[in-house]
Amino acid sequence: MSALLTPELLRRLEQFQLLAARRAKSSAKGERRSRARGQSVEFADYRNYTHGDDFRYLDWNLYGRLERLFLKLYEEERELPVRIFLDASESMTFGTPVKFDFARQVAAAIGYVALCGFDRVSVIAFPDLPPLGADNTQLKAVSSELAARGGLRAVRGRKSTLGFFQNLSQLTAHGGANLNEALRRGALEARQAGVAVVLSDFLDPAGYESGLTALVSRGFQVNAVQILAPDELNPGTYGDLRLVDAETGGIQEVTFGRYRLKSYQQTVQNFCQRLREFCQGRGISFFTASSETALHDLLLKQLRQAEVWG
Amino acid sequence: MSFLAPAAFAFAAAIPVVVVFYLLKRKRVVKLVSSTLLWQKFLAETQASAPFQRLRHNWLLILQLLMLALVIFALARPYFVGQSKSSRLRVVILDASASMQSTDEKPSRFEKARGEALQWVSGLRDADQMVVLQAAANTEVKQSATSDKTALRRALQNCAATDSPTHLVEAFKLAETLVKDRSDAEIHLFSDGALPNLGEFENKNLPLVYHRVGQGCENAGIVSLDVRANPENLDQRAVFVNVGNFSTNARRTDIELFFDNQLLETRPLELAPTNSQPLVFIAPQTTNGVFTVRLAAPDDLAADNQASIVSLMPQPMKVLLVSRTNQVLEKVLRSQPNVELSVVSLLSEPAVGFDAVVLDDVIPAVWPAVNTLAIHTANTNWFPGWETIQTPTIVDWKSTHPLLRFVNFDNVYVGESIGVKTPAWGVALLDSPQTPLIIAGQRERQRLVWIGFDTLNSSWPLRISFPIFMVNAMEWLNPASANASQLMVRAGDPFRYGLPAQPLAAAQVTRPDGTKKSLVIEPGARELIFGETFQQGIYRLKAGTNEVTFCVNLTDAAESNIMPHDELPFGKYGKVAATTLKRANLELWRWIAMAGLAVLLFEWWYYHKRTA
Repeated sequence: MSALLTPELLRRLEQFQLLAARRAKSSAKGERRSRARGQSVEFADYRNYTHGDDFRYLDWNLYGRLERLFLKLYEEERELPVRIFLDASESMTFGTPVKFDFARQVAAAIGYVALCGFDRVSVIAFPDLPPLGADNTQLKAVSSELAARGGLRAVRGRKSTLGFFQNLSQLTAHGGANLNEALRRGALEARQAGVAVVLSDFLDPAGYESGLTALVSRGFQVNAVQILAPDELNPGTYGDLRLVDAETGGIQEVTFGRYRLKSYQQTVQNFCQRLREFCQGRGISFFTASSETALHDLLLKQLRQAEVWG
Repeated sequence: MSFLAPAAFAFAAAIPVVVVFYLLKRKRVVKLVSSTLLWQKFLAETQASAPFQRLRHNWLLILQLLMLALVIFALARPYFVGQSKSSRLRVVILDASASMQSTDEKPSRFEKARGEALQWVSGLRDADQMVVLQAAANTEVKQSATSDKTALRRALQNCAATDSPTHLVEAFKLAETLVKDRSDAEIHLFSDGALPNLGEFENKNLPLVYHRVGQGCENAGIVSLDVRANPENLDQRAVFVNVGNFSTNARRTDIELFFDNQLLETRPLELAPTNSQPLVFIAPQTTNGVFTVRLAAPDDLAADNQASIVSLMPQPMKVLLVSRTNQVLEKVLRSQPNVELSVVSLLSEPAVGFDAVVLDDVIPAVWPAVNTLAIHTANTNWFPGWETIQTPTIVDWKSTHPLLRFVNFDNVYVGESIGVKTPAWGVALLDSPQTPLIIAGQRERQRLVWIGFDTLNSSWPLRISFPIFMVNAMEWLNPASANASQLMVRAGDPFRYGLPAQPLAAAQVTRPDGTKKSLVIEPGARELIFGETFQQGIYRLKAGTNEVTFCVNLTDAAESNIMPHDELPFGKYGKVAATTLKRANLELWRWIAMAGLAVLLFEWWYYHKRTA
């Protein structure tokens, strides 16, 4: 069905449903409980009859006992908006396997679970594409990417799965990311809050704090998945190095040998720990995964244990 | 612990250089990474981004500093002061006698002694001085007092063992003058202790340190050698050899006799422990040549395993007897087979053409210039004055002199004698309380035997000792035998050769090893003296048309006894024990340098382990 996920994994994922801690606030009908009153089988409350109410909802049994007219109210079932923030910056193109491929697979899995649950899925890839130039080949590539990105906005229904996967496959990663701005803008753009999943390496010199805070403030139930390459966790190059940042072009000189590996790993651990503590303090579910991690391990164990879905 | 070169601590200035290596930044390899964020955080946690970085704990730095400290420490040349007091002047006497060639120490005692002396040179402080003396038959100053270790080492390397006996008195006298009035001086003798008694220095209290070399004594050697005509057959020679065994074990060996390198005879020989054994070989001889005796079995000392002697064909001796009526003397002289006797009653002209003159109670008009036996006559050139002594009593005679061999003066009575004092040119062979009765010696180049009494006025001609003495006297006065005895010298002693009348400018000596030495003869010189007889063997001298062969032998029982002695005798009571010290200053820099090398290797290994 898709190169991103195996049929076996898809079959396993069909059993899951995204678990939303809050009630859905979407205006569109769906299968999620919401605070809105409407038509469903779930009784919610009574209220006094007012002129013009539909007689079909009058509780006649109550009228018989009290001789007063009350209207029965039912919960409205609405859809759950799921927004997947996918880091498509240059830094995601590193690693073996490539971090961006891994991120797309996770995005595909989450999107598939949401689509199967009749939820609305949006994949927001950042950074934005560069402005169009005169070059035809570039024009074609950018327009195809633009089309793919557009096709990933507000996807609903299981029937859209194929197109969803295809559009996801066409995404490419380049440019320098601004995680905070992308998340803030995503939070503002959303008409209703829902589930937000952030897939990134979080290696942004500007940080990640304001972006994640904006999502939480907007009412999103946020899940953050940090994806790092094996080489970032455990560097294999030693000696006197001049490191060039792929996104910013910044230069960092370092002398690195096996004997300093431990302190580097400690630095990575410290970085991840700060991110984890930040997330825990704001009710954000946080996961760290190496791009060589087995996908089903992350999806079927870690996310399930963290009750992202169940 | 002290330091020989404390100035080397100035090299400590190199330590900051090593630190600077770690402060400077290095050329780097460019690498594209996804983000430098993690590296920035990593560096922020480990280092600052200034041109100089904080000195961090780094094993490589510590190892390099340690190695540098070791090198500086080694350059400062620390040492531990040994048990002997340190001296400012050391006089090293290196025994170069034949016994030092013994191979009981490998490669030889001499090489071991030289090695120890070289170690002492290494242990010298900068201000210390050392003198190197080589003592064999003669003492040679190889290096005067200096602090230059290179010169001292070179001087020691130039020393070489000889085949000569030990004459250390000369070396000690020289050393004594060097250390006189110096309280900080020491004399270091490197020897095996095979020395004669040094009683002369008993009360001198020499600051002597005796370094003994040598371990054992497995040696047999030829200690004496002589050749004579066989009295029973004049065509044959009797070669007399005395072989000594100085080891405490019995030794078996073959002894070989050569004549001009032709093997004549081989005899098996069994030598009892610490005993000597005389042997006589009878060998025919038709021409002048060299007899060589050789011990076949190898032992610790090779120099005494071979000895050579020149044997000349006997020539008739022409003797002129100046006598009035001494029939006894004439008969005795005529009975000698080798003597051609002429008899005259007066001598009025120089006795040219005779080998010897016998003056029997006559005063010649012209005193002979050849070798002379003078009986009851005197010459003012020989004695400053004389008197007449009546009936002198014989009290003593020198039986070890060749003239008195087998001669006994028991029951000899003398009626009257000329009384003289023993002159400087001779030794008294027969003594009475008032005057010497027989004197023998060499005056200029003339051999003289003087008998102070008239033999006819004594009972001597009636004794068997009289003809024996006359035979001995003719033998001793024979210029040929005198020359023959000069053709064998002991190693280290000079060889003397009487030059012929015609003037010669140069001569050449061929040593046993084939090397040649040219000698310049001063005009008017009557004698040629060759002193470089340090090597045992057969030498050949060529002076003009004359060719002379002479032999140099060790033949010294004291030298052949190579048993090393723990103590040196100084007179009756004085002695110096062998020191057990090896070196006074034990320098440590070699060990520290080796530790530095080990640290360097460890650092190399550690660096490659880190960056591999």
